[in-house]
Amino acid sequence: MNIEAYIASGVLEAYVQGQLSAAEIAEVEQNLVRYPQLRSELKAIEDTHEALLQQMAIQPKPSTRQKLLTQIQKPSTGKIVPLKSEEVINYRWVAAAAVFIALVASWFAFDYRGKWKDSQRELTDLIAQNQQVADNYNTVNERLDRLETDIKIINNPAFRRVVLKGTEQAPSALASVYWNETSKEVYLSIQEMKELSAENQYQLWAIIDGKPVDAGVFDLTKGRLLRMKDVKPGATTFAVTIEPKGGKTAPTLQTMQVAGNVIEG
Amino acid sequence: MSRDQNAFAYLYDSYAGALLGVIVRIVQKEEMAEEVLQDVFLKIWDRIGSYDREKGKLFTWMVNIARNQAIDKTRSKEFSKDKQTGNIGKFVNRIDADDHIELGVEAIGLSDLLHKLPEEQQFVIEKHYLRGYTQSEISEEFNLPLGTVKTRMRLAMQLLRNLLVK
Repeated sequence: MNIEAYIASGVLEAYVQGQLSAAEIAEVEQNLVRYPQLRSELKAIEDTHEALLQQMAIQPKPSTRQKLLTQIQKPSTGKIVPLKSEEVINYRWVAAAAVFIALVASWFAFDYRGKWKDSQRELTDLIAQNQQVADNYNTVNERLDRLETDIKIINNPAFRRVVLKGTEQAPSALASVYWNETSKEVYLSIQEMKELSAENQYQLWAIIDGKPVDAGVFDLTKGRLLRMKDVKPGATTFAVTIEPKGGKTAPTLQTMQVAGNVIEG
Repeated sequence: MSRDQNAFAYLYDSYAGALLGVIVRIVQKEEMAEEVLQDVFLKIWDRIGSYDREKGKLFTWMVNIARNQAIDKTRSKEFSKDKQTGNIGKFVNRIDADDHIELGVEAIGLSDLLHKLPEEQQFVIEKHYLRGYTQSEISEEFNLPLGTVKTRMRLAMQLLRNLLVK
């Protein structure tokens, strides 16, 4: 059956408005059981029907209410009603009330369970988000700490800045060395150097008394200072070469990338 | 009062007005309508056990009892004896009676609402809900195929759904 067409025919409205024959009513009731999607449509039509009729309500005289309540309290007035029938009626109402209460209770249970599950989901999400924020905070904090240390070094007059300019092999390369002659500490800052293959590393050299001294190997790292090996006083030049991973004891001059002289000041 | 009677009083207070409206619009006589209303509530009291929520809302079930009881009344001897106009006057009588049916204050808001519907949809709603016509009566009286009455009723109810039920 085409449900859409069935609904569009207006048969459910006619059903609600009591306009169908007994046979047609039976058919609609069968379809309501067979096609559950008809139920929500029926409910919406019934709500509209009820809202319309409530708008057109005509209030009865108060005496009608009183008469009725008296009449149901004494079901035997005027008629012979078997005693049992009252009990039956009572049970019907009790049953109807019980069903109603059960429905309401299960609705609440369902509703609260849904809300509880939603809250739990939200809580899990919030914990995850919180963790993410904490991680981000830690990362940022570490970076900040490092930057503060870097700035202290750069601003410390005990550190001498040596600008290492690109050689013929790497004209655009640029780096700086911060060297504290007293403490021997050396930091390297890379402004521009090319990416190396996995088997190679950069190696920093200090020239002391005309001889190259190893000052440590490093990988391409930008945006922060790299701590290198200590260099004793007397260095006149710093230079960087490309060497096999781990470095060598003597520089390969052909691969020199940057170099710069220490300017006495 | 027992719990049942409380439940009954609750039903009465919630729905008696709406049911009396339905009855009045069919029998056209206030005094008689109040009598029918009493019979209707006694029937509801008696048959509440046969109400099946799988088949629709309690309200729909009660309105159907009220409508059938009211239609039965219009076919009774008492009714025809009481009636001043003849059989041919059935529809005319209803239309003439429009003026003295009290629809209540809310009905003014309702007529505003109905004016929001396209004319042909407003027509079927008014005939059925305000004048108590059945769909078959609308079809016969105004020479409209029953299927057309049904689909217009559906379209009207869909528009009213959005306007009324929130």
